[in-house]
Amino acid sequence: MSDDREFPPYSIDNQSFLPALAAGALDACLLYLTRDAGGGEGDAQRACRLAEALLHRGRREDAVACCRRALPALGDDAALLRICAWVFSNGGCHEDAAGAYRRLIELSPDWAEGYRHLSGSLAAIAASDEAIGCGIAACDLAPQNGEFALHLGRLLRDAGRCEEAGRYLDRAVAQAPDNARARCELAATCCVLGRSDRAATLALQAAALAPQDDDIAVDAAELLMRCGRAQAAADLLHHAADAAAEPRLCRVLSAAEMLCGRLEAALAAVDRAVAGAPDNAEYHVHRGHLLWQLGDIAGAAAALDHAARLDPASSATWRAQLSLYLAAGLVSEATAAGGELLHRFPDDKPAAEAVLHLLAHRLDTIDGEYVVLSAAERIPRPPRPMPGWLDRLRSQRRVVGALIIRETRTRYADLTLGYGWALIEPVLHITLLSVMFAVLMHGRPPIGRQFFIFYYTGLIPYHMFVHTSSGMSHAITGNGPVLQLPPVTTFDVIAARGLLEIMTDVIVAVALLAGFGAIGLAAMPDDLWGPSLALLVTAAFGCGVGFVNAVLTAFWRSWEKAYSQVTRVLYFISGIFYVPGMMPDWARDALAWNPVMQAVDWFRAGFFASYQPHWLDRSYLLVIAILTLLLGLGLERGLRRRLSAPL
Amino acid sequence: MIALDRVAKAYATAGGRKIVLDDASVAFAPGHNFGILGANGAGKSTLIRLLAGSELPDRGSIRRDARVSFPLGFGGTFHGALSGRENVAFVARVYGAAVRSTIRFVDEFAELGEYFDMPVQTYSAGMQARLAFGTCLAIDFDVFLIDEITEIGDERFRRKCAAAFRERLRRSDIILATHNSHTIRQYCDKAAILAGGRLQLFDDVASAFECYRRMLVEPSPCASPVV
Repeated sequence: MSDDREFPPYSIDNQSFLPALAAGALDACLLYLTRDAGGGEGDAQRACRLAEALLHRGRREDAVACCRRALPALGDDAALLRICAWVFSNGGCHEDAAGAYRRLIELSPDWAEGYRHLSGSLAAIAASDEAIGCGIAACDLAPQNGEFALHLGRLLRDAGRCEEAGRYLDRAVAQAPDNARARCELAATCCVLGRSDRAATLALQAAALAPQDDDIAVDAAELLMRCGRAQAAADLLHHAADAAAEPRLCRVLSAAEMLCGRLEAALAAVDRAVAGAPDNAEYHVHRGHLLWQLGDIAGAAAALDHAARLDPASSATWRAQLSLYLAAGLVSEATAAGGELLHRFPDDKPAAEAVLHLLAHRLDTIDGEYVVLSAAERIPRPPRPMPGWLDRLRSQRRVVGALIIRETRTRYADLTLGYGWALIEPVLHITLLSVMFAVLMHGRPPIGRQFFIFYYTGLIPYHMFVHTSSGMSHAITGNGPVLQLPPVTTFDVIAARGLLEIMTDVIVAVALLAGFGAIGLAAMPDDLWGPSLALLVTAAFGCGVGFVNAVLTAFWRSWEKAYSQVTRVLYFISGIFYVPGMMPDWARDALAWNPVMQAVDWFRAGFFASYQPHWLDRSYLLVIAILTLLLGLGLERGLRRRLSAPL
Repeated sequence: MIALDRVAKAYATAGGRKIVLDDASVAFAPGHNFGILGANGAGKSTLIRLLAGSELPDRGSIRRDARVSFPLGFGGTFHGALSGRENVAFVARVYGAAVRSTIRFVDEFAELGEYFDMPVQTYSAGMQARLAFGTCLAIDFDVFLIDEITEIGDERFRRKCAAAFRERLRRSDIILATHNSHTIRQYCDKAAILAGGRLQLFDDVASAFECYRRMLVEPSPCASPVV
């Protein structure tokens, strides 16, 4: 501050101000203005001069303050207004600058440069429509000025009005054919408009016009890449990079090489960029991506790590790291990076999305058991032929057999003797009845010589019918779970139950006969075929009714109870402990319609050769058996779809 | 291949008639694993039972030229009074599989120990699930139908199941109905959406999920009310 020694503070007045200013005693002048100045026109002028000097010295804020103080008293002094506008503009106060230029344009409406300056200030405060209006005014006033056209073209392109921008930039290039920047701007506009051939030509021309200008080279190369001419961009940058290894240039060269598919060359270029600017995080991210593409996962991870340390505030770096680890299959590392990402950038949407993606992937591969198999891993399987009727019959036999075995295990499963009770029960029943009647009724039974045998011949056919018909009635309702097995049909469960009942009763019948023989009774039937045939037809009849019962019970559970009343009545009207011959004719004729009575008499007629009742009609029972069997099977078949209702 | 030809299925509920399928014609091609997406009550379980043949359609027909499993995850075929061994023997007989080797496989796989010879009604739910899973895997099915895989057993047993399943899936396919999108992503390469009586097939799981997500946001007007 040697100047201030010559002009000490407080020594300056309005006479000595200008000499002091000329001598460079700025602080002293500033002190005078802030303390002593009255604010008249003279002081305003002095303030402007001081502001100009201050700005030249780089003291922007003091300069702007001076101008603000001076402005109200300036009046219409265009020269001083220009100084103020210039100071504001260079001091970064574009709004004030715009105000000053407006006043200047009011004073001289044909001043083209004024419009250009106002447009620049307005653009700086983002009043783009107004800025464009002023730019157009400037260009209209000075159509030969290439710089005005270039400025307006840029404004229009930034506002998205590319067609208009193209027109003005065309004009700018025509006015200044050797202006590389103008060609660059026009090229960028053409690129946006989709005229990539023209854009590429212009970019190359721009680069040729300014071979030493690195900025033009970088911009031109980026434009060429955007136009899909990565090779031209690479050539251009190679030239420039050979001259000077400017890091930014090398970075763009690396991108061009990468787009050309030359990853090694791209890596070499970015290495040069990193060597020139080792602290630029973006260069390291790019280098990491290249290494990753080259398969060097560890190197890529290290590069991204470096980038993350250089620029910990950028979520993009961490995201790049996460995707790298994920793509490399390093799920744990990716998860760690994801955790770090969430921790550092809790409000960052792209970061959250990246982590979400990671977690979805991690869920898919949890435990490492990813079961979806590729087609190559599969063993092709030939289609199975549709089963023929013989296969179906075999399968049905298997299923019915399995069901019968299961039934013998599950019925009376909680009793010690298990299915044995199914045999013991009728034996006890017949034995008990025989003993009782033998005691009560002295003498001979109606047929034969033994009460035991007489009741036996009545009860065996009756049981055959009742056991089958009522045993089958809850076949569907009692087998719900088994019916869930697709090979098991309602027919199978009903038929299995019926067959089991028949087998049980046959065993009981034979076992009783053997028992009678063992205790010395003459128990052998006179004819073996007759009783066997009678039992067979009775079983068929029982099964027919059984099928009907099973279907009815499936729809109406109480049917089972109702039917048990029917069997109870049948016990008394089927000639079990008497013969119909003992009854009045009308009663006997009525009873003859009872198929179960016919069954009993058919059985007895075979058992005892001497017993041949005239009311016995074997074909009647046979027809009834066939009809009920058809009815039962038809009902099951017809309603099968509704019988397989959900549990 | 399981091919549905104009299949219709509906059943009555307390809330009215519920339509599961309405004139649906869809083919599940061999060599692919299908996931079935659908809201609660859309009829996924019924569909699985239809595919299995446990239930018959009201109209139309379902053709299978593959051996289709019973719906896995359904342990209800077992009779409580019978032992695990007897139940397995029954299923083996029904499917014409060798009874002894089937029993041996399940005995080793399900790890029930002494319980294998005890009545199934004494089993815990987990033990029943293990028995059902083992039985299903023991039989040489071409297509496994799975209705909602439930978590079975501890970590070690789950891994064992996954490994066994993985081996099975080299030769067999699965059709899987579940709420768990993760399970579908894990097992399936194709997916179908069951909604409003329609069964829509997608070539990849991702587009099915996308469509399903959109359906949840804006239910289609034809969707039947969910009971």
